[in-house]
Amino acid sequence: MQLQYFLILAAALFCIGIYGLINSRNAVRVLMSVELMLNAVNLNLMAFSSYLDPQSVKGQVFTVFVIAIAAAEAAVGLAIVLAIYRNRDTVDMEQFNLLKW
Amino acid sequence: MASLFLHNIWLVPFYSLIGAALSVIWFPSITRRTGPRPAGYINAFMTLLTFVHAVLALPAVWGQLPYEVSFQWLDVAGLSLSIPVNISVVTVSAIALISGMNLLAQVFAFGYLEMDWGWARFFSLLAIFEAGMTALVLCDSLFFSYMILEILTLGTYLLVGFWFNQPLVVTGARDAFLTKRVGDLFLLMAVVALYPLAGTWDFSELAEWTKTAQVDPTVITLIALGLIAGPMGKCAQFPLHLWLDEAMEGPIPSTILRNSVVVATGAWVLVKLQPVLALSPVALSFATWIGSVTAVGGSLIALAQIDIKRTLSYLVSAYMGIVFIAVSTGFTKAALLLVLTHAVAIALLVMSIGGIIWNSITQDVTQLGGLWSRRPISGLAFIFGTLGLIAFPPFGSFWAIQELADGLQDTQPWLVGVLLLVNALTAFGLTRVFCLVFCGEAKQMSQRSPEVHWPMMLPMTVLLGFTLHVPLVLQASSLLPSWAEMSKDIALLFTWSSIFGCSLSAIVYLGKTIPKPVHFPSKVLQDLVAYDFYTPKLYRSSVVVTVDLISRLTSWFDKYFVDGIVNLFGLATIFGGQSLRYSTSGQSQFYALTILLGITMLGLFLCFPFLSHMALVVTASLLQQSVG
Repeated sequence: MQLQYFLILAAALFCIGIYGLINSRNAVRVLMSVELMLNAVNLNLMAFSSYLDPQSVKGQVFTVFVIAIAAAEAAVGLAIVLAIYRNRDTVDMEQFNLLKW
Repeated sequence: MASLFLHNIWLVPFYSLIGAALSVIWFPSITRRTGPRPAGYINAFMTLLTFVHAVLALPAVWGQLPYEVSFQWLDVAGLSLSIPVNISVVTVSAIALISGMNLLAQVFAFGYLEMDWGWARFFSLLAIFEAGMTALVLCDSLFFSYMILEILTLGTYLLVGFWFNQPLVVTGARDAFLTKRVGDLFLLMAVVALYPLAGTWDFSELAEWTKTAQVDPTVITLIALGLIAGPMGKCAQFPLHLWLDEAMEGPIPSTILRNSVVVATGAWVLVKLQPVLALSPVALSFATWIGSVTAVGGSLIALAQIDIKRTLSYLVSAYMGIVFIAVSTGFTKAALLLVLTHAVAIALLVMSIGGIIWNSITQDVTQLGGLWSRRPISGLAFIFGTLGLIAFPPFGSFWAIQELADGLQDTQPWLVGVLLLVNALTAFGLTRVFCLVFCGEAKQMSQRSPEVHWPMMLPMTVLLGFTLHVPLVLQASSLLPSWAEMSKDIALLFTWSSIFGCSLSAIVYLGKTIPKPVHFPSKVLQDLVAYDFYTPKLYRSSVVVTVDLISRLTSWFDKYFVDGIVNLFGLATIFGGQSLRYSTSGQSQFYALTILLGITMLGLFLCFPFLSHMALVVTASLLQQSVG
């Protein structure tokens, strides 16, 4: 097992997250994609922490923070989605284009 | 005392300028109380001052050599221009002539413009004219002469367009301005081109320079032609002659001044430039030809005009043509003499018909008649104006033409023929006008046409007296050619040509044998002459059409090509903006994609050196592997 494999896996996960972020029409799925991306970041942090800095595990601390922030973000995000849903009766991302030309 | 006046002669132009400036204050709020007249009186008084000044200065300058005073005008970057003032018998007497003429014209205008409200404008314009002309005769520099000629051009425009609510007046003023501008433009080219060659613009220094000048004949020919072009426009020579005819739309008092002395400004400059012109034989013969053609053509056209003012306008061109001949053949003294005698005689003629125009119903000579018994003084003025204009001894122009013909008979006899022809034609034409207007039965239009009131009569009689005394004045100033040296044959020839012209005309227009109205033998010829040789048509179909076409073309080019390119940029920007705005889709996901792509691109760009290095390393290792 090498560091690169973890990084590649994390990058792949990040890409999938981006793909989901950009391509999903459902707002909840966009939030889920964001979670995926955050998880990819966490993977990176953990990998670096284990391979490059096994003594002072700063990466792991960061990961804990990221998980916490991710939870908060998900809460706020879902609240926003709910607020939009109440206004517009839909969670379709392509309906939220009020600012087009 | 007299020498004090002489030394201050350069003040003369300022008198009339002060008068012009003073008449400006006669704006409507004052005019409503005083009437417009005081402006005229002020200007006439200033002109009188000029006249008195010049006359008082005459005794001091008599018999003296000309001398120069110089005023610094511009001194920049190695170019020093000063205004040289030439004081001599000729200039002082020219000032006296000009201011005297102007005074008479102004007194005439008191009567002629009796009911007009434009007094301040009219008299200040006359004053500007006077200032321009006196400055022109005083000024000894070609450059400043050019400037003054331009001012006179503007003055002509304003004066011809005096009654600007009539369309013909407006076109007449416009044509006068443009025609003179054509001449002036060529003159300016020549003036500017002359400076590097001669290094001076002073007429006297130019005359000195020509004695030793070594110049390329082509260059000096071109310059001389340009120098001739300015006077051609001023003196209404063919082909720049139409304006003088159209300028007859202006008021008569200004016509008196224009026909007698203003057109002569061109001749004056030409006389001053004679030494330079003499450097180029081509230019000299060009001037001779222009003068001859104008003299003959002008006197022919005058035969067929029915407008009483226009019967005289072309004669002015014709006599200026003779001046051209005189200058181009080197007889500058005869030219100046002719300018003097012509000015007096034609002014008298214009005054005479001016009175007729004033209180007759028509200006058409064919509808006038029988005025001799009603207005004998005008009739006498016309007769003596005629005699003073044609070569009829002992009156004015005879001596000038005689002197010219005397000099020409050995070298260019054909020019003597031209002079004879012009003289006979002028005699015929003026007698025709006299017979039509003053003789015969009074026609319907001239039944009630009494002699005019004194402000017009007075200058007419004064000028009549002066016309009669011109020979005496000439004799007193020893300008007459001596009787012993004169060719009696030539004198007889000219006298006979005058008598022949007058009597033939009298037979034709008074005799019972020829049916009235009189026609030319050939209808084609009559039309040709009556329509000014179709020059207006010719200009309209050539110059006017060409300029019109070119201006349309350039306008089209400007509108559609130049403006089009600029508009294209505008349109392209608008189109760019309009199409680029579709990139703002309003979807946050799209923005996220854009941001990500942007960051990726930026990252790739920043990392490009490492990436290329890495690519090299990877290729090298791959190669190594394949070799290994």
